Amino acid sequence: MDRPAAGASYQRFPRVKIRELKDDYAKFELRDTDASMANALRRVMIAEVPTVAIDLVEIEVNSSVLNDEFIAHRLGLIPLTSAAAMQMRFSRDCDACDGDGSCEYCSVEFNLSARATDSDQTLEVTSNDLRSADPKVCPVDQARAYQQALSSGDYDPNAGDQRGILIVKLRRGQELRLRAIARKGIGKDHAKWSPAATVTFMYEPDIRINEELMDTLTLDEKRSWVESSPTKVFELDPVTQQVTVSDAEAYTYDEEVIKAAEAMGKPGLVEINAKEDSFIFTVETTGAITAYELIMNAITVLRQKLDAVRLQDDDGDLGELGAHLGGP
Amino acid sequence: MNAPDRYERFVVPEGTKNDNHSCRVSYERDTKIVNAASFTIEREDHTIGNIVRMQLHRDPNVLFAGYKLPHPLQYKIIVRIHTTSQSSPTQAYTQAVNDLDKELEYLKQAFEVCF
Repeated sequence: MDRPAAGASYQRFPRVKIRELKDDYAKFELRDTDASMANALRRVMIAEVPTVAIDLVEIEVNSSVLNDEFIAHRLGLIPLTSAAAMQMRFSRDCDACDGDGSCEYCSVEFNLSARATDSDQTLEVTSNDLRSADPKVCPVDQARAYQQALSSGDYDPNAGDQRGILIVKLRRGQELRLRAIARKGIGKDHAKWSPAATVTFMYEPDIRINEELMDTLTLDEKRSWVESSPTKVFELDPVTQQVTVSDAEAYTYDEEVIKAAEAMGKPGLVEINAKEDSFIFTVETTGAITAYELIMNAITVLRQKLDAVRLQDDDGDLGELGAHLGGP
Repeated sequence: MNAPDRYERFVVPEGTKNDNHSCRVSYERDTKIVNAASFTIEREDHTIGNIVRMQLHRDPNVLFAGYKLPHPLQYKIIVRIHTTSQSSPTQAYTQAVNDLDKELEYLKQAFEVCF
């Protein structure tokens, strides 16, 4: 195919500034790119970044008050540490196992065995009772408790947030014994595989106060106008009696201040526009992967998807059609 | 009863040709208009459709670019491209996908530097 290379590249050059980065939370600014790219990243973070979650449950004994599928459903929703998920294979693609999708390359095995003793106290079966075959993949709160015990040394197994995610409660004589297989999957298949708690982005607002018009307001009018905004966007300095923007990003694109200005008879007091190529992302994860990993994996997965939708060059008749249509 | 399986949203069915020419992206020239074509991409949705469409709009040789999901329960998108005679739909499409890939690589490096 002797077509000359296409001329200019119409690539965009996005800029990023990370504002806040914690283990499971990230806030960053994304500039100089399109809303479609921001939305694609959001959609991929929620639905297509792979994690590991329990997918197959074999129950040996269940004499609890919840039925088998109820317990299996709850087990699936427990978040598991999935740092290894990007390297794992999907069970359907795995050729190492003998067809049942439970070999060591594509799955992790869990065991749970709980029996309420003859005491009168209710036994709470939690995610702490899930024993994993692979120590790298375990329930998120187990990993967190382990980290905390290592770092600070004060580990109280009965403290409120150390008890683990509650699965079922057992009474005297009731027993639960099962074997579970966790597999790699994506949020599109089932929400249990979604690593994101919430991912949101907003347009960065561009707020301009018309100073001349603002000077025609009395102090009371200014105060009432500043207070008409449901979120604290503006601020009235009592000394200089000037209205300034204290937190532009608290603006939620409700147009209350604009309506209030019009009601006062001063339309055009403030001009608020959304910058079309500037976004502020807030990413929160379930703990299965860190927020930074989520963002990077989302970019990787999006690139893989784009790779999959390329036209195949080696198609015979496509090349012919292309030559037919294309070329200057 | 008629709902398709959940994995149909992203698992491409086994094509009749088992090599890397899968039925993922297929192509239909428009018989009535020159330099116009419709690309049918299997097992994709707005995530890819919208970014490819917006990238195609940046190409001055592209006269028309749009995408649609013909039905929410059929997991495919159709991207329609008209170009001037300076370019062709395949060329515009390939250029758009390549540019998006480069943009994502740039974005990835921007994040890594930030960290």
